[in-house]
Parts: sequence; structure tokens; C-alpha cells
Amino acid sequence: MSMAQLRTSTDTWDELLEPSGHPRAAASELVQQLQELGLAELQQRQDLAELDIVGMGITFTVYSDGRGIDRAWPFDVIPRVIAADEWRAIEVGLVQRLRAINMFIDDVYHEQRVVRDGVFPAHLLEHSVNFRKECIGVDPKFGVWAHISGSDLVRDSDGTMYVLEDNLRVPSGVSYVLENRAISKRAFADLFAKQSILPVDAYTDELNRMLSSLAPDGITEPTIAVLTPGIYNSAYFEHSFLAQRIGAALVEGIDLVVGDDDCVYMRTISGHERVHVIYRRVDDLFIDPEVFRDDSTLGVPGLMRAWRAGNVAIANAPGAGVADDKVVYAWVPDLIRYYLHEEPLLPNVPTYRCVYDDERQYVVDHIDELVVKPANESGGYGLLIGNRATRSELDETIAHIEADPRNWVAQPILSLSTVPTLCDGEIEPRHVDLRPFILSGATNYVSAGGLTRVALREGSLIVNSSQGGGSKDTWIVEA
Amino acid sequence: MLLSRVADNLYWGARYLERAEDTARVVRNFTELILDLPRGVASSWEPLLSVAGSHAEYTASHTRARESDIVRFLVADSSNGGSVVSSVAAARENLRTTREILPREAWQAVNDLYLFTSRDTESGVDRRSRARYLGRVIADCQRLDGVLSGMMRRDQAYELWRLGQMVERADMTTRVLGVRAASLLSTPPDAHDYDEVQWMGVLRSVTAMQMYQRSQRGPIQGASVVSFLLFDPTFPRSVAGCVQRIRSALGRLPNPELTLPAVDAIDALLETLPSQASDGRELDRAMERVQEALADLNECVYDTFVRVVV
Repeated sequence: MSMAQLRTSTDTWDELLEPSGHPRAAASELVQQLQELGLAELQQRQDLAELDIVGMGITFTVYSDGRGIDRAWPFDVIPRVIAADEWRAIEVGLVQRLRAINMFIDDVYHEQRVVRDGVFPAHLLEHSVNFRKECIGVDPKFGVWAHISGSDLVRDSDGTMYVLEDNLRVPSGVSYVLENRAISKRAFADLFAKQSILPVDAYTDELNRMLSSLAPDGITEPTIAVLTPGIYNSAYFEHSFLAQRIGAALVEGIDLVVGDDDCVYMRTISGHERVHVIYRRVDDLFIDPEVFRDDSTLGVPGLMRAWRAGNVAIANAPGAGVADDKVVYAWVPDLIRYYLHEEPLLPNVPTYRCVYDDERQYVVDHIDELVVKPANESGGYGLLIGNRATRSELDETIAHIEADPRNWVAQPILSLSTVPTLCDGEIEPRHVDLRPFILSGATNYVSAGGLTRVALREGSLIVNSSQGGGSKDTWIVEA
Repeated sequence: MLLSRVADNLYWGARYLERAEDTARVVRNFTELILDLPRGVASSWEPLLSVAGSHAEYTASHTRARESDIVRFLVADSSNGGSVVSSVAAARENLRTTREILPREAWQAVNDLYLFTSRDTESGVDRRSRARYLGRVIADCQRLDGVLSGMMRRDQAYELWRLGQMVERADMTTRVLGVRAASLLSTPPDAHDYDEVQWMGVLRSVTAMQMYQRSQRGPIQGASVVSFLLFDPTFPRSVAGCVQRIRSALGRLPNPELTLPAVDAIDALLETLPSQASDGRELDRAMERVQEALADLNECVYDTFVRVVV
């Protein structure tokens, strides 16, 4: 059998291999096995994994021609490996970050000390599209607003792991973390037997525990519902998966009703049944047509009333998105110092804020060396990678920036790290990021690893599954 | 706890899948029967359309009634909402919204079946592969049934599933009786030499042959076949057997006082039927009345469990 050749490119960090081509310590068992298996056997395991994915109905939905199409979840069989020691440090850094972010959100909807003390500019808050005045003065349990978050991490060529963004609204992907593991245990059963790879399954139990802890006072066995926009949402698979795993009802807006007593009820075949905790996967602006968009059919009239009265917990809390903004992101290190009196453990990517004249001028002058991002888009749309854009694309983006500077930030182009990936029958290095999931309630929990997304096209940095990205299992390996 | 919307999806998911399975059984066994009969004896495929209740839809889009056209319409035509492929696709759509309710393997069984039926639909039409294709449909439906029987709590979701399944199954058995049995009874006995073969075909199309023979002595007789398929309470595909299961399902669901009267009406109807059928037209009309009573029950189920949502 021929040995599989693994190669790494010279100007990026590879997660499995040293620049010399030798395996990194935590990946040595894996690399050895990959080489022994050879390409043909590896391809066979990849094919089997894809069959499993189709057979298990692991899908995501994409929009095309105005209708949703169910696609098989893209998965690459070669996992990404992180040493357990490094991972523990990242966990601590993520928890620190989310504690500060939650304190910021709570502050913003109460005294705004952070503004008064001159740490965060008032005008930014005034112009924030995700600030919800309807949330002012509300006291969610534990002072926590962002209960479930998915921060995106990337590793630059020198090996530094950066936080790229904090997803605090309705981050998705955790179901695929669990499904990818189920698939990869079949593909590499022998390696799981041979070494200690941290299990990921505990996440849903922790999620259940955290959601239950949010129930209104005096409710010991709360009824939990997962609120989904419905079957045509791109993450519907995940909504259904999570509801199933935590034994919650999967509800759509039409299934819920708010009574005259300001409590939330589900419409069941036996009549109305009280709901205590809602894990909502519907965006803020759609959850209550009485308060926000009145044309929303996804929401529940009166839901905000019930939440403000403390009769139902909503996770993530309405308004939590105020901190999920590429502009606020740039202040997170300051927020950590301000609220926790600690130095940030996980670095931010240096970020130029176009709202400041000098930083905007730098962005305009160096746009071909920067990634330019609109502050409030998710899914990779509207993003410009300077060194890959044409002059007219650059000029178009500059015009957008000049027209609405607050809505734009820019960062240096990081060279995302790579992992060997099966591409058309060859093993090629491909860029990856990592989305761990952080639960915040009375205490914090970080998923063991997270979702590794991979850009399948050569040289591409776009990892979103909606735009042709794939995924990998993430192994946290004890030395 | 069961959401009304989910209850509706479960009920219809069960109906669609049962319809796919029953249609597969009827087409498979009709194909085998026709091969046994010499040319000239009942070689028309149109009775299949009547059993499926799709005669009008078929004639609206087809001018000829060839075997391949009829079988394609009933098995592989995605524009016919009652075809096997459409029923399976509809069941899958319904179950996509109930994945958190049913055991995970149930979804996998339906998904497998969907992938299989939609991949090579023409092999369900081609005579050489038809039996294998339809056999797979039947086997996958049975697999799902086994998953639910073996893994699911007897909760409201389970009872709603059984309810939908039994309503659809009872409906199909009445169609087989109303079309096939009725036409055999209507023809003078000397007009067909292949009486037993034809009655075997009736039994086989609801997979009742072996069970009928275990329960009866002597040669196959039309009147006792009809009586078996209508009244035998121990046979799970007889009309009475299905109605009994419908009654027990509704008894375990909320507000039985609202739904059981519709079942009483079906039982009352069955009681008026003669124990030994001899008149084909009479049987056909009686089966139509049972189908109407099943439709009334269907509406009552909707009003009781679902309508509150809208």
C-alpha cells in the first residue's frame, strides 16, 4: 500500500504538521495512521462518511431561486487536532470574554456606566442597529443576556489564536459538532480507542441544565421550548436536533400564545400548556410583532410583555445582539479590562474602526491589504478581501465606507491556518477556522473543541457552508 | 404534551406512508395476478386505478390505459399526489417537522425509503424490476413500523401515528373490496373459470391470503373472503380490525367524547352489512358509505386536535 503524502504550504501554520513536515505532538497518532492508510483507503472512509451523512439525513438548507434546498452536510474525514493544554487556555480566555460581554450588555440596558466612564463612545450606542430600547431596565437571571454564543477563532501564520468575532444572537453549528463526531468515530474507531480524545456529547446536557436554570423563580421542572422560524430556515436541522437532545418541544410562532396573565402557552392537542423557558432561534426583530416588526409571522404577539414580566425566560435574551457587532468587537479588550480588571487572555484581531477619521483614512489607503467587513452582516456576505478584489470592487467598497463609516471595520488579512483535507482524491492543505460554543448562566461552559469549518477551494478563506465551505471534526487530544 | 401542529404532521405522515405501502402491495399483487391469467380474462389494468381512487385524475391526463402508463402513474409519477413516490416524499416532508418526536431511526428509515424511491423511479415500472422495487417500499414501511413498535413510548404521538395509519389502511381495504370483490360478485359464476385465482388476488392485494387460509377450511369462496376482510377482528388489515385500533387510539388521546361518536358511526354501518355478501353492487355502495364515514372521522380528528391553531 502506498503511503499517503501529507504536505503543508510554507507561508501558513498547519494544524497537524510542523513546517518540516513532521507531525505536531498532539497529531502524531493521527498523522501516522493517515500515512499508513494510504489515499485509497482514506478516500473509501470519506465515501462511507458521506453515505452516513445522507443516510442519517444530516443536512443544511440553502436558498436558490426563492426556495430552500436541503443539502447534505459537507464533511471532510481528516480531523483537526488541538492539544488539550492549549485548549484549556483557550477555554479560560473564552469564559473571560463572555463574562465581560454579558456585563457590558447588562450595563448598556441599565446605568451605562461604561459610557459614563468614557470607555465606550455614546454615539456608537445611539447608532447601534442592535440596541433595543424595549430591553432597558429588564433584569434577566444572573445578569446574563448572551446565554449561548459561538465565537469564531482563527490562527495566524505565527501560531497565535485570535478571536475573529463573537456570535451572540442565534449562533448555529453545534449540532454539526456532535454529528461530525458520530461520523468520525466510525471512520477512525481505532484512534479513539488508542488515545484520549475529549468527548463532545456533554454539550446538550449542559445546555439543558443552563436553560432550566433560567426558569422563573419557583419553577423546579420547567417546560422548555426551542423556537424555530420553521422548516425553511437554513439551521432547521439543528433546531430539531437540539430540541430532540434536550427533550424540549420544537415550536414555531404559531404554536405559542401569550395569555391575559402575560404567561406563554403552547397550543397542544390537550389545550394550552405553560412554557417557562424559550431557546429562541428567531432573530430579535421577528420575535414579537406587537413590539418589533409587525409584519413578522415568525413571532409571538405579547412575548416581550411576558418576558419583561419575568414569566418566561428567553435565551438569548432580546437585545443581546447589541454586543454582536464588528464595531463593539473592537472594544472587547477594553471591556475586559473595565469590568473584570484583568488583561485579555485571548487576543482580538487588530481592528480599524472606520468611524474614526484616522483609522478610516488608513483603511482607504491600505484597502488592498485589509479584509473589510460590514459591521452587521453575518454569513460572509458583503465582505471584501483586499488583495483578491479588482480595483473597481475596491472603489465600490470605499464608496460604501465613506457613505456610512460606522457600519465598516477592517482588519489585516490573516493567513488562516490549514489542515490537510481530501480534495478530488488528493490530500491538500486547506484553510480552517474554529467555532467553539460557550454557555453562560450561573456558571460558564465551553464545548470541547467546536466546529471546524474548512474552505474547500484552494487558497480560499471563505469557510461558510452557505458558500461552499466544508467541516471537520475537532479533536482535543490529551498528551 | 403534543403540539397541535405536530399532531397534524404525524397523522398525515402516517397516512402517506400507509398509502405508499398499500399502493405498493396492490400494484405488486395485481401484476402477479395478471401474469397468471390467460389472455382475454380480465386483463385490464384499470381496476388498479379504481382501487387507488385515481381513475378521474388518470383519465384527465392520459388517453390510453396501457399497463406501463397506469403503473407509472400509480408508482413513479411525481405529479400524481397519490403515487408511491409522492406519498413517500410527502411523508418525509411531514416527518421532517417531527424529528424530535419520533425515534431517530424512524427518520432514517423514512429518509432511506425516500432516497431509494426517488432515485430510480423507472425500476418501479419496468416489469423485470417492479416486484423488487415495490418489495423494498413495503419492507422499509415495515421497518419503520418495527422501529415505532419496538422503541417508542405509547404516548400521544404514538397513538396519533397509529390513528393515521389505521384510517388510511381501513380506507384501502374498503377500496379493494368495493372494486375488486364487488366486480367478481357481480359477474355470473360461469363467466370466469379463474374464480379462485381472482379471489386469491383480492386477498393477496391486502396480504391476507395466508391468514385467510389459516382461519378458514376448504376452498376459497367469495362470500367468506369478503366477510374475512370486513369483519375478522383479529386480522390487522380487516376493516373491523382497523376500526378497533382506531377506537383504542382515540380512547388514549384527549377528549375521546368528541371523537368516539365518529367511530361508533362506522361500527354501526358495519353492523348493517350482511354477513354473507352476494350482491356486488350492494357491496360497492356499502364500501362507499364506509369511506364517507372514515372521511367524517378524519374531519372530526382535525377539528378536535388541530383546528384550534388556525
